[in-house]
Amino acid sequence: MKKVTRDVLKDASLRLMFTMTEEQYDVLLDEFSILIQQMELIGAIPGIDDVEPMTFPFDVTVSALREDVPTTPLSQEDVVKNAGSVLNGEIKLPKVVG
Amino acid sequence: MKHVLDGTIHTIHAALVRQEITPLDLVLEAIQRAKANPNNAFERLLEDEAIAFAKTLTKPEEDNVFWGIPYALKDNFSTKGHETTAGSNSLNGYVPLYDATVVKRLKDVKAILIGKTTLDELAMGGTGMTGHQGIQTNPYDASRSRQVGGSSSGSAIVVADAIVPFAIGSDTGDSVRKPASYTGLVGFKPTWGRVSRFGLFPFAPSLDHVAFFTRSVEDARALTLVLSGKDDEDATSRDLPIDFVQPIRHTTQKIAVLKPVLDSISNATIKQRFLASIDALKQRGHHVDIIDFPLNLLQAIYPTYMTISCAEATSNNANLDGIKFGPSYEGKTYQDVMIQARTHGFSELIKRRFVIGSFVLMRENQDVLFLRAQRVRRKIVHALNDVYASFDAIYLPAAPTVAPLLKGSSDRLSNEYLIADSHLALGNFAGLPSITIPLGFEGDLPFGGNVMTRKDEEALCLSLAQDVEGWSGLHNLSTRYRGTSV
Repeated sequence: MKKVTRDVLKDASLRLMFTMTEEQYDVLLDEFSILIQQMELIGAIPGIDDVEPMTFPFDVTVSALREDVPTTPLSQEDVVKNAGSVLNGEIKLPKVVG
Repeated sequence: MKHVLDGTIHTIHAALVRQEITPLDLVLEAIQRAKANPNNAFERLLEDEAIAFAKTLTKPEEDNVFWGIPYALKDNFSTKGHETTAGSNSLNGYVPLYDATVVKRLKDVKAILIGKTTLDELAMGGTGMTGHQGIQTNPYDASRSRQVGGSSSGSAIVVADAIVPFAIGSDTGDSVRKPASYTGLVGFKPTWGRVSRFGLFPFAPSLDHVAFFTRSVEDARALTLVLSGKDDEDATSRDLPIDFVQPIRHTTQKIAVLKPVLDSISNATIKQRFLASIDALKQRGHHVDIIDFPLNLLQAIYPTYMTISCAEATSNNANLDGIKFGPSYEGKTYQDVMIQARTHGFSELIKRRFVIGSFVLMRENQDVLFLRAQRVRRKIVHALNDVYASFDAIYLPAAPTVAPLLKGSSDRLSNEYLIADSHLALGNFAGLPSITIPLGFEGDLPFGGNVMTRKDEEALCLSLAQDVEGWSGLHNLSTRYRGTSV
């Protein structure tokens, strides 16, 4: 397992596209020290690596396809309702390249 | 003097049918109570819309208990045309273009939405202290120094303060059932897939459930019936037999109490009251056994929950980037735009949880952290199924304490924290029906018990809960009305 350090956590937060203050990293390092101790409890469970990971509470099998009925898509007016900037009925994006 | 709005869905409905009160009267009273409430329950009131809808309801429907009943909705459910932020600045100004399926179903039965309730940011907290509207407080504590619990904090407040007789929340670890314990309410989470999650902002979809607060088990039964069913918009939703919520009466059930959970609770009042409720269940003819359960699996609940939920949340919220959703910020590159939006949009707690999620998903860590947590989840569910091979239900105190102080702290490596404060997540790991019902008071503060049954056995879960409710007399509790026996 990768060692938990301030630099590793800073790298993770930048990959997640946000920044944190030094004080916030202090709190996070404390939180990790507890969480890692808690995870050690998990690692000590006998036979833990012999079972398959569980991704959902139980299997849900969808055995029917819905009818191929045409539906009404969003209107142009609706599509742009949440846009911060609109030009000629289209969403205007900030220039971020070149 | 008791107002009609102090009643349950069923008693309010009876008054509506007798035409003693109108939906408009109810909405006006609810809005007045909402404005007077000091516990910070609402993201926004929908006063004009609720009044306009109430005015259209003039002919009571005798066979529809939801006709004209006001309710509130956690602000992580989409409402067409109404800002929905999930308590996060990263979603300020977002106005959904569609209604969540639960909203549609309640609209179809003519229930009246009066407002959207506050929550822990993105439903990722258990205190009611992390949303962008500030701290929610417990309505049972006049000094406003105690937590209401979360993340469905506002929804708990509005039912506990009798602003409305029911409210919708979501429950990923215990986000309805724990606050229900702190506020003397019934909090019910049906089987995973029973209620469509279309329109509910995802936190951790393998654990997320729609759940709700009521002031009686009978009301929880009615709400389960109206919200359940297959929805083409949610592939995990299922159609199940129509009689799944019918009361089960006069049958003997085998009930298990997990000894290590009970042993980890230090509060004597809660323990004594819980043991008294066991005696009452026995007197009703049920068999109740206090059984062992692997301690190491119970101690693993909290870290397993944290690992899985943070990992899923990190991925699910990657779209809150200031471009696809949320307020926009200036930047020279698209990365700058996103970093600005996410740095300003998320609180410190959310950032920490995302970093935890990202860390456990790193290639070097996946095997020993994320996948191992998923393996523990399977082991825990297997152990639960072993219990259900011999027993019909598991019954436990819902929480080890009454509502904690806002500034309270816990030893996060203690058994009380790891087990008694976390065991409700078992119901999320296995997707089981799980209901919290009021058990008693310590001073002025309520606490609850919890019944959990096999998947799809809502009928049994509700019936056992009704047995406890019948014994305690704590029916229709609110800050305005302390039930039939208190």
